[in-house]
Amino acid sequence: MHRRRFLAAGATAASVGLAGCRSLFQTRSARSPPLVEDRPDAVYVPSHVEGMEMVDTAEAGDYTVALTYSFPHRFWLVNGDRTNQVEIEGSDSVHLMTTVWDTDTGTVIPTDGIRTTITSDGETLVSGEPLWPMLSQNMGVHTGDNLELDGDGTYEVEVDVPPLSARRTGGFRDRFDEQVTADFSLAFAQSTLDEISFERLQDRQGERDALDPMEMDMLPVSTAPAVEDLPGTVVGEGSSGDARFVATRLDSPPAGAGGESTDEGGDSSDERPYLAVSMRTPYNGYPLPLAALSATVARDGETVFDGPLGATVDPDIGYHYGALADVQSGDELAITVDTPPQVSRHEGYETAFLDFAETSMTVEK
Amino acid sequence: MPPTRSRGISRRDFVKAAVAIGGSAALSACLDRENPDLPQGTDDLSALPERQHAWNAALQTDDHGNDVPPRHHLLLYLDYAGDGTPTDADRETVETALRSLERAYPRSHEGDVGLLFTVGYAPAYFDRFDDPLPESVDLPAPEPLAPFEDPAPDEPDAVLHLASDYGSVVIGAEEALLGETTELNGREMDATFEGVFERAALADDGPNRRTGFVGEGLPADNQDVTGVPDSEPVPEDSPLFMGFESGFEKTQATEDRVTIDEGPFAGGTTQHVSTMHLNLEQWYEQDTRYHREATMFCPAHADEGRIEGTGKNLGNTSGVGACAEDVASDAREEGVVGHAQKNARAREDGRPVILRRDFDSTDGDHAGLHFLALQESIADFVATREAMNGTDAADEGAVGQRTNNGILQYINVRRRGNYLLPPRSSRALPTPRA
Repeated sequence: MHRRRFLAAGATAASVGLAGCRSLFQTRSARSPPLVEDRPDAVYVPSHVEGMEMVDTAEAGDYTVALTYSFPHRFWLVNGDRTNQVEIEGSDSVHLMTTVWDTDTGTVIPTDGIRTTITSDGETLVSGEPLWPMLSQNMGVHTGDNLELDGDGTYEVEVDVPPLSARRTGGFRDRFDEQVTADFSLAFAQSTLDEISFERLQDRQGERDALDPMEMDMLPVSTAPAVEDLPGTVVGEGSSGDARFVATRLDSPPAGAGGESTDEGGDSSDERPYLAVSMRTPYNGYPLPLAALSATVARDGETVFDGPLGATVDPDIGYHYGALADVQSGDELAITVDTPPQVSRHEGYETAFLDFAETSMTVEK
Repeated sequence: MPPTRSRGISRRDFVKAAVAIGGSAALSACLDRENPDLPQGTDDLSALPERQHAWNAALQTDDHGNDVPPRHHLLLYLDYAGDGTPTDADRETVETALRSLERAYPRSHEGDVGLLFTVGYAPAYFDRFDDPLPESVDLPAPEPLAPFEDPAPDEPDAVLHLASDYGSVVIGAEEALLGETTELNGREMDATFEGVFERAALADDGPNRRTGFVGEGLPADNQDVTGVPDSEPVPEDSPLFMGFESGFEKTQATEDRVTIDEGPFAGGTTQHVSTMHLNLEQWYEQDTRYHREATMFCPAHADEGRIEGTGKNLGNTSGVGACAEDVASDAREEGVVGHAQKNARAREDGRPVILRRDFDSTDGDHAGLHFLALQESIADFVATREAMNGTDAADEGAVGQRTNNGILQYINVRRRGNYLLPPRSSRALPTPRA
């Protein structure tokens, strides 16, 4: 909104007296309690838990997109291993969010570059603004940002989902490669926003634990497959930076993972094994996207693999980092995080997944 | 031009608004404010450069040798008004009208840009002829240049780019060309575009009149628009909305490099114009100075604190040449790559292959940028844009398709168009053989 309009709104508020203003400020501060003191360098229970309001879901290409919102709140952007706390601006109206999943499998797809355009009565309030890829304890992987609306009313919200840049394998191989658009109508009322649940967690805040995933019928949660459900042979597990690493070996790579022979007349199937590393949050097991990982495999003191693991989405393995690499029993597998997950963090995740040591394991299977 | 304030609105602000609105009322109001003291143009038109795009000689250079672009800009999108192919009489009308502009205003005067202009023709214009364009001209129809964009194609017949340090001059030239005034700077127009060119009808109701500005003070004065936060974050000394210098001498192609060197259009060039919205709430309200420096230039610049303020201290180069080789490793190890850093990979012999003549805009009351670039072939532009996309960085590293990937996060390309700028001698309704 233009500064003029904001000032005009402020003037109106002043004319109805201080009481209105005070309650406004009380609402704001009450919903943004002080940060927990002495936050651990790990996942922790935040100062509060809040609900959200579902606007609608809409199918767009291969995806279903959910549009949701809550009240504006602080979050943290990540540049390399630096975090930057984003404060609530006085003009912010809502924290607008999208969750995107594969309609067929219900797999939540971590994606960045989602853009939103918001219009009201023909006026464009937001034109193609990207929402940050985000991670929160009760919503998992989603995108969001604090945005300014123009009071109660109906808003047309267009959500553009770009082609996915992460590699796609298996049943996802030829999917998510088109830009698609989902359209929503958001009937916004401040009174509805004010009714969204909010609960302080003074007894638990700061504990090394996490809020439970939100349960909503319309909305899948971005949980990575359980360790026992991962395909192939799980060859090792580890932990660093409070993230969990699960390494699995597939005897042949999922379709689209590279290495397919193109020799004419040759066997087109590739029998080289595939190493997949699922990097996930503790407690809730959400995938940690937008990181750079690499691995080395040593056998009898000799390096047999040393290279990057590419970000990949696969319906069976979930979001993971993988490469063609033969990992055998007795090998030393070392996983390095070259850059921490650049996904923005909601409270309780901002001090975790930033400082990693090499995760080494001896393969036993 | 120091800012002079009058009735609470700065002259710069007022002039920008007048250019955006246009029309005779805006012109007279603008003239009152600016009072340009420009003599008439030359009568010796033979002395004018054959290259329409040879503007640099008319521009001031700053203390570091960087060319200072004209402050006010106008793009007029035009359709040929006749049926079939243009007649010789049409050509003479257009040429006479353009010569009237040249006689009315000097290209430069005492350090100010009087009036510079180019006229370009889209692929759609040449479709009316049986002959194709020669192979020496690379002019494809506009198309999306990233997997994540969906721009509307601009397909007028012609585009006129008018530029001056005075808003009243570009408005006056527009009025005179379209026959709304008969006189320009005290000289009678010998012809106008009436009956030959009309304002273009563009896809998706695209505006056929686009305006803008570049230069210290103008972005700060005009930041009360959607796309810029209310905190007035644009620095007073920034030439562009994003708060940094651009167009360093060493990050521009030379006019020679962008000139078509053979065939019937030798001496011409190609022009790409993309029209984009800028979304700078995140840029100014949420991101850090480190992030802005790292994503605009490169992470090494941000780490080493090489940029002061808007970056004037960098002199005549962005200095990202050395970072260009680090795109892949920065994507993997820093989690961020810079816009200039990525683009530097599209250089040839250490220099870019496109010559930027871009400018900011508040068209539609939204912060925007008209990215106007000149290059020998549109393929040079496409290669530069591919480098800027950083798709490889997103594939290999921790940067996203937009997140921490240069400034892609903050720009939204809405329209694209490609044009041929013929040499001056064939600038009036050329055939595909000039």
